[in-house]
Amino acid sequence: MKKALLATSTHGNLGRDALDRINIRALSDVSIDIVNGDRVGLVGLNGAGKTTLLKVLAGVYEPTEGRLAASGSVSSLLDTQVGLNADATGHENIILRGMYMGIHPSEMRERAPEVAAFTELGHYLDMPVRTYSAGMMIRLAFAISTCIPPDILIMDEWLTAGDAQFLEKAQRRIEDFVRGSSILVLASHSTELVERWCNRGILLHHGRIMSVGPVKEVIAAYRRLIDPSAQDAAPQMAAVG
Amino acid sequence: MYLETVSGETGRILELPAPPSRAALAATDLLDGVRKSWLWTTLAQQDVKLRYRGSILGPFWQTLTTAVMIGGMGFIYAKLFHTDLRDYLPMLTVGLIFWMFVAGMITEGCGTFVGVQGIIQQVRLPFSLHVYRLVYRNLLTLAHNFVIVPIVLAIFPHPINWMRLFELVPGLILIAITGIWVSTLLGMISARFRDVPPIVASVVQVVFFMTPIMWPVEALGPNAWWAQLNPLFAAVDVLRGPLLGQPTAKYSWTILATITVFGCAAAFAFFARFRSRIAFWV
Repeated sequence: MKKALLATSTHGNLGRDALDRINIRALSDVSIDIVNGDRVGLVGLNGAGKTTLLKVLAGVYEPTEGRLAASGSVSSLLDTQVGLNADATGHENIILRGMYMGIHPSEMRERAPEVAAFTELGHYLDMPVRTYSAGMMIRLAFAISTCIPPDILIMDEWLTAGDAQFLEKAQRRIEDFVRGSSILVLASHSTELVERWCNRGILLHHGRIMSVGPVKEVIAAYRRLIDPSAQDAAPQMAAVG
Repeated sequence: MYLETVSGETGRILELPAPPSRAALAATDLLDGVRKSWLWTTLAQQDVKLRYRGSILGPFWQTLTTAVMIGGMGFIYAKLFHTDLRDYLPMLTVGLIFWMFVAGMITEGCGTFVGVQGIIQQVRLPFSLHVYRLVYRNLLTLAHNFVIVPIVLAIFPHPINWMRLFELVPGLILIAITGIWVSTLLGMISARFRDVPPIVASVVQVVFFMTPIMWPVEALGPNAWWAQLNPLFAAVDVLRGPLLGQPTAKYSWTILATITVFGCAAAFAFFARFRSRIAFWV
């Protein structure tokens, strides 16, 4: 009985197996094809499986069923902190984080001035990174992770904590990449950001794809999911405007 | 053998080659780790530096601690075992330093993957990279500790066959390989079952007292042979012998080589089977 209740309330994604271990099915039946130049926005409620899907795309999780075929270099910005040493300075961390991206220190040292300039952190780069605010960390992490244009760029929700000026700068850089036929996959709760940056959307719900297609349609579906009773905002604005 | 599917949305025809076997993926992982040697050597060096950031002596703090331990234990236990300090102190010094190397890798090996959980869950890197980093870090620590050995051997000289010092090379290589397979196996098991690290730490501690490091093998008299069957003794003995001018125990090399072969096979099989699950376990 308890098993049946657990299964129904979590849409069959959470269950206990014979050895009484809890299993979580974070994603099911996700089949997508992303091509050059695509900027895909991943939307969904908390726990829908967005970060899990990003991790699968980044190669961190190997699918337990099915296959992932990715052609090109992958740069994943899932977490600002990874590879950063809190006691080291901004400059030292540029080299360090570059190493985790597979860039040899000697090569990274050549790119360091350009990265430093992009962060606009000035003399703060001489301070240990643990003194940075969240926004400063994001500037640093983004600048390092995008210093070499990747073929596939995967980003999680933290980008929205950046200030407006930084977001504009980041958008321009990403647009440059994508024009050079790179792929972007971005997960975000900010529908405005997704609409501005992406051309395609995927709506995840309880680990399944609920909607996939042009970004405007998917965002509309997402809004309907959040608030089924609300009318579409767009027609109202058109009437006013 | 190709799998052909047509993408529903984009209409693209995708031809995917047959997936490589688990063993092939594991072997690729091991090789990719070796190829990234610049990364794990730099990280290991940084690990050692960070441990002593801000201190005056730096990594030689470890050396000082070891020297104090050896000095303290040496005098007391030499008296207890009725051995000459001139014989006991070199034996203890060399034995202890190599024991700390081997046992250190075993105990630390449990945390190989759990310790870098953040990296594993964010960036795709070969898992073997974390193993190589751990072994290299322990080699660096050994190098720092080893400074004591020439000093002690100069104070209490023993006749040494200098040609035998070349035995240290295969010895160290074999033990580094031991470190690799043990860290892989224990690291994965510890990631899945979190009570393994303290168990291993306790077992290693107990085995220390059962291994002839603090006490000379001869103290066991006619029963000395079963202490020599201890694989950890074999590991230390192989390195210790050349430096003390003592013959290596009869079966030490055989035991070490056999355990290395079987250990590597077991670790590889386990790694191949469960490599893809490590990211979920940590």
